[in-house]
Amino acid sequence: MGNKITINPITRISGFLEIQVEVEANKIIDAKSSGMLFRGFEKMLRGRPPLDAIYFTERICGICSTAHSMGSTLALEDILDIRPNENDKMIRDFMHGCEFVQNHLRHFYQYTFPDFVRGPEIQPLYNVTHNDYRLPEELNKELSRSYLASLEYSRLAHEMLAILGGKAPHTHGIFVGGVTVNLEAAKWIKVKSILASIKDFVAAQMIPDVYTIAEYYPDYFENGVGYKNIMTYGVFDTYVKEALFYVGPQVFINGELQNFDPEKITENIHRAWYEARQIEQSPTEPTVEENVYKEKAYSWIKAPRYEGYPMEVGPLARMCLSGDYTNGISTMDRTIARVLEVRKIIGIMEGLLERMEPKPPQQGRYAFSGEVRGRGLIDTTRGALGHWIATENEAIQNYEIITPSSWNLSPEDSEGVKGVVEKALIGTIIEDLKNPVEIGRIVRSFDPCVSCATHVLSDRYSPFQIRIV
Amino acid sequence: MNDIPSNCPMIDSKTITARKIIDLAIEKIKNASINKTNLIWLEATGCAGNIISLLNAENPDVIYLLDQMVTLKYNNSLMAAEGEAAFQQFLDTLETEFILVVEGAVATKSDGLYTVIARYQGDLVTAMEAVKMAGGKAKYVVTVGTCASYGGPSAARPNPSQSVSVPQFLNQEVIRVPGCPSHPDWAIGTIANLIAFGMPELDAQSRPIIFYGITIHDRCTRRSYFNNGIFATKLGDPECMFKLGCRGPVTRTDCPVRQWNGYVNWPIEDNTPCIGCAQERFPDGMEPFVRY
Repeated sequence: MGNKITINPITRISGFLEIQVEVEANKIIDAKSSGMLFRGFEKMLRGRPPLDAIYFTERICGICSTAHSMGSTLALEDILDIRPNENDKMIRDFMHGCEFVQNHLRHFYQYTFPDFVRGPEIQPLYNVTHNDYRLPEELNKELSRSYLASLEYSRLAHEMLAILGGKAPHTHGIFVGGVTVNLEAAKWIKVKSILASIKDFVAAQMIPDVYTIAEYYPDYFENGVGYKNIMTYGVFDTYVKEALFYVGPQVFINGELQNFDPEKITENIHRAWYEARQIEQSPTEPTVEENVYKEKAYSWIKAPRYEGYPMEVGPLARMCLSGDYTNGISTMDRTIARVLEVRKIIGIMEGLLERMEPKPPQQGRYAFSGEVRGRGLIDTTRGALGHWIATENEAIQNYEIITPSSWNLSPEDSEGVKGVVEKALIGTIIEDLKNPVEIGRIVRSFDPCVSCATHVLSDRYSPFQIRIV
Repeated sequence: MNDIPSNCPMIDSKTITARKIIDLAIEKIKNASINKTNLIWLEATGCAGNIISLLNAENPDVIYLLDQMVTLKYNNSLMAAEGEAAFQQFLDTLETEFILVVEGAVATKSDGLYTVIARYQGDLVTAMEAVKMAGGKAKYVVTVGTCASYGGPSAARPNPSQSVSVPQFLNQEVIRVPGCPSHPDWAIGTIANLIAFGMPELDAQSRPIIFYGITIHDRCTRRSYFNNGIFATKLGDPECMFKLGCRGPVTRTDCPVRQWNGYVNWPIEDNTPCIGCAQERFPDGMEPFVRY
C-alpha cells in the first residue's frame, strides 16, 4: 500500500475534477479520475422539441458550446436528411474554427501556462504552492506578458464568432440547414482582419512560447504517455481542396491504422454512479439512472470504449492522424500539438474565407415526423464529440452524448481497463511528494472539460488531499 | 449618481451606462476613497460560461478588473493554485470583507453530492455547502448568469440534480445578474456599482434596473417590422422574429442597444429569435425556442 495523493479541485479546467493517485517509491502505481458534477442533460432533453436541442445542448458547456451546436445540428440534419449548401457549410465550419482558436488560446495561456510560467503578479493568477518554475527571470517575465496579451486574442476569436453567430458563448447562428447569418462584405472583411491579427500573435508569440516551455521542461516529453491509442471522428473533412481539408475519421490501435466504425462505440458504467440493466451499452440505448451511493463507483463519467479500447482524443490525436505532427505522444507533445493546431486551423479558416461568397443564408422550415434516429459525430476542440438523437414526431425521445472529455477522463471499466488519463498518470515519477506538480500538468495537457462530461463525481470515502504516510 | 433621472427609462439607461459607472468606480479607487474589495467568484452547478463571458470583457478587461477594481481570491477556472491549497484561499477569504459572486445553480439532491467543488481535510465540499458558508458572510451576494439567478438550464425539467437558484437557497438579499451567459458589462458594471456607490437600483426581482429595466422588444432594431406586421417566416430572414417564437417581448435586457462581444452583434440581428435566456423561466418556460 503506497501513499495516496488526492488533488481536488484540479483548477484551471472547466468543471470539477478530482484526481487521486497511489504512490510507491515516488512512482504512481494507481490512478483514479473522478468527475464531480452531474446535471443530467440527456434526461432533460427528453420530450423537448427536436430543434431546441441546438441551443439547449450548448448550455452543457460554457467553453465549448459551439461544439455542441455542431454535434446536435449534424444529428438533426441526419434525421431530416438535409445538407447545407456549400457556402453555408463553409461559414459554419469557419464558426467552428473560431471556437478552436479561442479555446486553444485560453487553454494554453490561462490554464496551462501557470503550470510552467510564474504568472503576472495579480491575484489569484500568481499564488502557487510549488517551486518548480524553471524559466530564467527575464524569460519568465516575457512569457508572463504573453499571458496578458493573449486575452485580447481569445476575446477577438469570440468576436469573430459573434459577428457570424450573434453572440458567444452560446451562439445562435449555427442551425439546421447551415447558418443564419446574412454574410455581407462588411462582416466578411471584419472577420478577415481579426483573423489576420490572431494569426500574427500565434506566429510571433504562441508558437515560440510553447517551444520555450518545452526547452525548459524536457522531462515532460517522457511522461503522460498513456495507451497511444488515438481516434478522431474527423473535422474539416468534407472538402476536396487540400487547403481546406484537415483530418478524416480514423482510429489507431496497437500501432495499426483502422477505418472508424461508429457501431463499435460502447459505454461502460462499472465504476460510474449509474445503474442500468446492462453494464455496457451502445449510445443509442436508453439512458441509465444515477445512483451516487453505488458501491465502488467513483465518477459521474461513464467509460466510453471503442471495440473495448479506451481512446485518446484531442488535438494531438488529430495532428498525429493527419500527419501534421510526428514527434510522439506525451504531456509536452500534447501541449505543442494544441498550439500548432491553432496555426493549422487558421490556415483552413483563411481558405474558407477566400471561397465563401457574401449572400443570404439558405434556411428552411423543418418538421419532424415518425420515429427516426440520427447521429452527429464530429471532432471538436477537445476531441471526438458524438450526439445520438431519437425523435418521435415533434419530440425528442432519447438523447445521448459522448463528449471528448468522457473519452479522456473515463474511469475503469468492467474489464479492469483504466481510462486514458488514469493510464497516462500511472508510472509517472513524482519528484517531490509534497508538491506533486506532475499530476496537474499531465491532467491539464488533456484540456479536461468536466462540465461537458455531464455525467461526472468522487470517491466519497477516500482520504483527503495530499496525505503522505 | 451624478445624472438627474428623467422620467424616461430609455434615456436613463443610455446616459447611465455601465461604462460610466465603471469610470467613476475606477476614479474613486484611484483617489483611494474606496479600497479594493476581495471577491470570490464561485462556480456551482453550471457550465462555467459566465466566467468565460467575463473574460470577453473590454474596457475594462478582466485584467483591469483584477488589478484595479477587486482582489479575486478564489475562482476555479483562473487561479494558479490547486487542490487543498486552492480551497484554503476560499476559506481564508471568508474571514475578510468580500463580495460573493456565484455562477451556477445549487444542486441539492443527495446532500449536494451532484456538485462537489473541493476536498478539504478528507471531506468533500459540495457547492451547496460552499454557497451557504460564503453567503452568510459576504457583504454582497451577486448571482451572475441565469442558473444562479433563477435555476436556469441546470434546473430544467425534470431537474435531475434538484438544482435551485441561489436566492431560493439563501435566505438573504441577492442581486441577480441573469443571462445565459451574463454579458460581461452587466457583471462588471454591477460590481463597479457595488464598490463605488453601494447597492444599485434594483427592480422587483432584484435585478439592476440599468441593465434589465426595458424589454428587448421595446428597443428592438426590428420593431418597425413588428409595428407594420412584417414577420420572418424562417430563421435567416431579415424581418421581425415574433412569429417564430421570439421572447423579446418578455425578456428584459439591453441586448439591442448594448450588443455582444465587442458590441458587434446580438441574436436577433443574426436572424434568430431571442430565446429569453435572461428570464426567470428559461429554458422550460421559453420553449419552443423556434416555432415552425
